[in-house]
Amino acid sequence: MPFTARDLRYHLEENYASLCIYLQQRAQRYLGQLAYDAFEVDQVVGHVIEQLTRLGLLGAGDKTPLTELDRLSPAQFYAFLNRSARNKAIDRLRKHRVPTNTLAELERQGEAEDENNPLDTVVESLWGNIPFPTPEETALAVASHEHLRNLLKRCIESLRAAPRQLQAVLRELEEMGAQDLLHVIEQELGVTEEPLEHASQHKDHAHKKLRHCLQQSSTNLAVMLALRLSEYEPISNGEAIIEIQVLARNNLSEKEVRMGLKHLDTEGLLSWHGEDTVRLSPAQRKRLARYYEEGE
Amino acid sequence: MDKQHFFEGTPDPRNASLAQWLQELLAQPPQPPRPERTSIVETSGALKEEYHPRFYTQLPDFAAALLANDPDVMVRYAPLLYHLLGCRACHSAYLEIYDALWAARASGDTSPFPDIGQHKLAATPSRMLVYLCQLLISQARAVLVQSRHEHTDNDELARSLLRQAMQMSAHIMQGTQRQRALRDLVEVAVLAQGASAGQQDAQAQSYSAQVVDAAGSRRGKVLRRADMLERPAEDVFLELQSGALKGRIVQRGEMLELQLDGLNASWRGHHVLVRVPLGSLLEPVRWLGGNPWAIRSQSPVDEHGSLKTPIGYTDLHLSDPEDYNLLEAMFKKLDLRPAE
Repeated sequence: MPFTARDLRYHLEENYASLCIYLQQRAQRYLGQLAYDAFEVDQVVGHVIEQLTRLGLLGAGDKTPLTELDRLSPAQFYAFLNRSARNKAIDRLRKHRVPTNTLAELERQGEAEDENNPLDTVVESLWGNIPFPTPEETALAVASHEHLRNLLKRCIESLRAAPRQLQAVLRELEEMGAQDLLHVIEQELGVTEEPLEHASQHKDHAHKKLRHCLQQSSTNLAVMLALRLSEYEPISNGEAIIEIQVLARNNLSEKEVRMGLKHLDTEGLLSWHGEDTVRLSPAQRKRLARYYEEGE
Repeated sequence: MDKQHFFEGTPDPRNASLAQWLQELLAQPPQPPRPERTSIVETSGALKEEYHPRFYTQLPDFAAALLANDPDVMVRYAPLLYHLLGCRACHSAYLEIYDALWAARASGDTSPFPDIGQHKLAATPSRMLVYLCQLLISQARAVLVQSRHEHTDNDELARSLLRQAMQMSAHIMQGTQRQRALRDLVEVAVLAQGASAGQQDAQAQSYSAQVVDAAGSRRGKVLRRADMLERPAEDVFLELQSGALKGRIVQRGEMLELQLDGLNASWRGHHVLVRVPLGSLLEPVRWLGGNPWAIRSQSPVDEHGSLKTPIGYTDLHLSDPEDYNLLEAMFKKLDLRPAE
């Protein structure tokens, strides 16, 4: 066995040569009539090497967290590299407008030679039935998913510190006909319509904040935790006491729980300063439930 | 595989305008297309703008969660999903990684191992080594830029990537290629070592190691690699240059000695502080005084403006080509200023 994912992570110097040779062989095999064009071979080999570097595998040692690639068996890892090289080769062939029948022929040859080759209809679509196949379909899935809409709602509501920016975004929601979302936010925040000058400027500032908020892990963790916390029933005096370890379940680490709690504390929804338990008053539980719910 | 996956829920067409608005809101600025027929070593740094380390590195685990039909995947990866709908580069990487992981899982453990044998770096084309070094350095830059932006600390990862680039570059025997491989090293290393490392002292004199070119020559003097092995260690040296000024690093046993001539008249009779900005990236040199950013000369600059001072000890040998290359990378920058 020439090398493994672990070897590339911890012993790159000893294994880089073998990685290059392997990828070069794969590239030549899948490049068909371009197999003897050194430039094209380099494009394929370079692409996979770049991907492995960007994913934090090549030479990263213990400095990056392990990913699914590290958990693949050696045989699966080779299959991963093989497929990556093959996909890039097909991409290069397409750029050169290799006739469709030649490309299909290449695929059929590959399928005969490689075991368990799941590529369906390369000519039609390289990506077949992959979830979220385009940014557009991803956007529609996101806009239709309850949790992700809640996240959007939270991010829009966090603009309340800048009322004009909030108003600019609410106007956009109204213009695009997102009445349900608009209605919930207006009800929760008690927003009243006022004349808005320099709307475009306020909108730009608001968009910048929304972009940041929506892609922040801490925002998402806060929304996830708000839901989990609101599910706990009070024990005594109407107060609920929840241990952090109990909150860390279903793929949520204790570190993530603490990050989410810190975010909720910053937003004033609970009072938590790094303790191992969270105490919630009835009023706080109610606010947390409202924080998560989108409303009807 | 079904077209619709249960974790996606049912996309509601009534949300089409909201979806479109989200796409416009989160759209990353488009990147200029790369020219066709550009070699990989000329484009390895070109992804600076469209590479988003925080999201990109999540892609294998995200794809694995999708393949496992994890019901929490939309919730857990919400920020990534918001990013993917606006970033075409990351979305395209997601498709590739999902597909390759799918193939990997489908192959099970039955695929035969490739018969490629064991290979040494000496047999690897230098352009592939140059490419890797450039990638590692640009990765370090991306990690640092992200850390500064998000107020997190990933300096150790960046330093480790730079260290790896220096070590790999030592295997490149052509000087011009080595120079190309480490083109951005000093700039990124300064970023990795914080603001203080980048501060320029008005009084400082900056030297850099002169790279031995492809034929082994250095400004007319021929230093063939094979010859280096046969010559006494003290005859092999690293040449330093600062404008018209020359200097050298020579080795005496384990000791590295800095030799400089023509120093500023006002420095005569004074000790100097030597700073090797990349010195803390590699361990093989035990720096005099322990700090490569402030090595005090053992003697003052003499009346002719010359200085000879030890700066550290090492098990590396300048007469060994790979060790030479590693030390050359380390001395890509050397600053000098008068001691207080």
